[in-house]
Amino acid sequence: MKIWPPSEPSLQETDFNYSDTREQMNGSVGPMRVLVTGGSGLVGRAIERVVKEESGGREGETWIFLSSKDANLMSAEETRAVFQKHRPTHVIHLAAMVGGLFRNMRQNLDFWRNNVHINDNVLHTSQEFGVVKVVSCLSTCVFPDKTTYPIDETVMHNGAPHESNYGYAYAKRMIDVHNRALFQQYGLKYTAVIPTNMFGPHDNYNIEDGHVMPGLIHKTYLAKKEGKPLQVWGSGRALRQFIYSLDLARLFLWVLREYDEVEPIILSVGEEDELTVKDAVDAVAEAFGFEGEVIYDTSKSDGQIKKTANNAKLRKYLPDFKFTPFKQGDQHKRFSIYVFPILVKRRILIDVFLFFQPSRRLVIGLQPIMTPSVNEDLFI
Amino acid sequence: LDHYIGPMRVLVTGGSGLVGRAIERVVKEESGGREGETWIFLSSKETNLVSTEETRAAFERHRPTHVIHLAAMVGGLYRNMRQNLDFWRNNVHINDNVLHTSQEFGVVKVVSCLSTCVFPDKTTYPIDETMHNGAPHESNYGYAYAKRMIDVHNRALFQQYGLKYTAVIPTNMFGPHDNYNIEDGHVMPGLIHKTYLAKKEGKPLQVWGSGRALRQFIYSLDLARLFLWVLREYDEVEPIILSVGEEDELTVKEAVDAVAEAFGFEGEVIYDTSKSDGQIKKTANNAKLRKYLPDFKFTPFKQAVKETCDWFAANYDSARK
Repeated sequence: MKIWPPSEPSLQETDFNYSDTREQMNGSVGPMRVLVTGGSGLVGRAIERVVKEESGGREGETWIFLSSKDANLMSAEETRAVFQKHRPTHVIHLAAMVGGLFRNMRQNLDFWRNNVHINDNVLHTSQEFGVVKVVSCLSTCVFPDKTTYPIDETVMHNGAPHESNYGYAYAKRMIDVHNRALFQQYGLKYTAVIPTNMFGPHDNYNIEDGHVMPGLIHKTYLAKKEGKPLQVWGSGRALRQFIYSLDLARLFLWVLREYDEVEPIILSVGEEDELTVKDAVDAVAEAFGFEGEVIYDTSKSDGQIKKTANNAKLRKYLPDFKFTPFKQGDQHKRFSIYVFPILVKRRILIDVFLFFQPSRRLVIGLQPIMTPSVNEDLFI
Repeated sequence: LDHYIGPMRVLVTGGSGLVGRAIERVVKEESGGREGETWIFLSSKETNLVSTEETRAAFERHRPTHVIHLAAMVGGLYRNMRQNLDFWRNNVHINDNVLHTSQEFGVVKVVSCLSTCVFPDKTTYPIDETMHNGAPHESNYGYAYAKRMIDVHNRALFQQYGLKYTAVIPTNMFGPHDNYNIEDGHVMPGLIHKTYLAKKEGKPLQVWGSGRALRQFIYSLDLARLFLWVLREYDEVEPIILSVGEEDELTVKEAVDAVAEAFGFEGEVIYDTSKSDGQIKKTANNAKLRKYLPDFKFTPFKQAVKETCDWFAANYDSARK
């Protein structure tokens, strides 16, 4: 677990007056203590980076990044112990039991039960401890399987989710049910965000998991290393909206501080920025300099061909939000679809950004990121 | 069918409620139970099923092979509307504790009890067993979602472990040992209590709504007999609606008339149309039940009402209200 700022005094029981912090959403001042569950995952690490390196955190705030090593949130007792220790005023709830397509299909029961327990423990304990606001993380996979497109925030409960992962999907949906009921019974404005396909550093790059971007990245890296063809599952025609974890993190902080609704909000690039899986494959291949054969295994499922999400609500609040600011002198609207760290001379980590200009010309840019010396394998 | 062979020990949670008492009566007085079987009727006084530890303790003590799961936090329209959070959380905990502990203890089969109120608010009629196609009614979504998730849990148990835990979906129930609280807004028990008082006090009978709403009523003893059939014979994971047919749908007015006749109430009946009717029609399709049991005879409505009213009058002081 990491606590920031690092000069944080020891976490003993302090004489903490919750009534101060209950005023947060009304604008008055009080020291925020933000607990981030699932803090070591893709989104948690991105939030940590935004907080520490982009002034995402403010003076006087404490940010606690919890991982499953610190506490098993499926246990009500362990969850309470965490809240007793850290006394958060706010919670960003990212922790979940996640898996890929195949594990979900085999273990819907475990995905249902474990996530219901995690979510109930976090939401209920937050309420007990007077947490002012909790922002949970849902997923577009919780939406109904049969629905009209583009999806918006109001249709989440209008039908059964896809058969393959209904356990996980229902558990996530019930966060929204719990939030609404908390508001109705106690006036608490706990809420949730719904990201589309995420990617970024610190992801789980497990290939079997079937998550598009991290799986592609890992496979392409191996294909190049082993001099073999790149096997892509599906036809490549499936369309997705990709959101970079750092953009998501920035939006998460806005939701935490400013978004005042209980109804969840979709966090995604617009419909116009939808890409095919093939577009993503091309970009990853280019980034690695992979020039071998690309085989599309059409015997494997594409998943849903299209699951366009409508980001109109986000755009209503933040019409000017720029996805992935990349400061390389390009006037046109651009967006990053892929970032990965490469190690140069074992000393410097560099983020490689790829982005498409509207003319579909691929541009590669580099941005160094600060890191202590690492002993990781070279990625390329 | 993979029938369980060996002495059945059946644990009935919510054993002291409307359905639990009916099952107890069928088991003890109608040879509903078989030789060598043990039937345990659990009530909330002995065990708080919201607690995982207490649930485990009950299973350790009784070692059931089968479970009929009726226990729930229930309330009426108004309490639901105020406390959707509590109805959601407590019922999810009860259901997860019972289903999970059953699985851990090797229970062969669990039959849970849902409700037609868990169906989508916006749907086509008649309703059949596919219940996940939309959000439930706003007034009691906490309770409704908690019940629906029993079906999700059952399906996942089957997928992961091959267990055939299942559920039934009754329509409007009535019978002895009900909760006759008027505020709760359950049609039949509310009517029975109000008519009894109206006759006793020589006042008009005030009925909420226009009387035009249509309902399918099922007598608790019929429900209990069907529950036992589901426990022993019904082999699907998908739930089954237990109800009289669409042709036996009655208006609330017809129910009022039957209750008045049962009590010999001859005073004035006033329909307070300022009060909500609830849904005008929520017809459930009992085709699946009829496919399995084409010859099952439901107790004639007036006879069932008479038996219930007689019981209520004889047990007024101790009846739950």
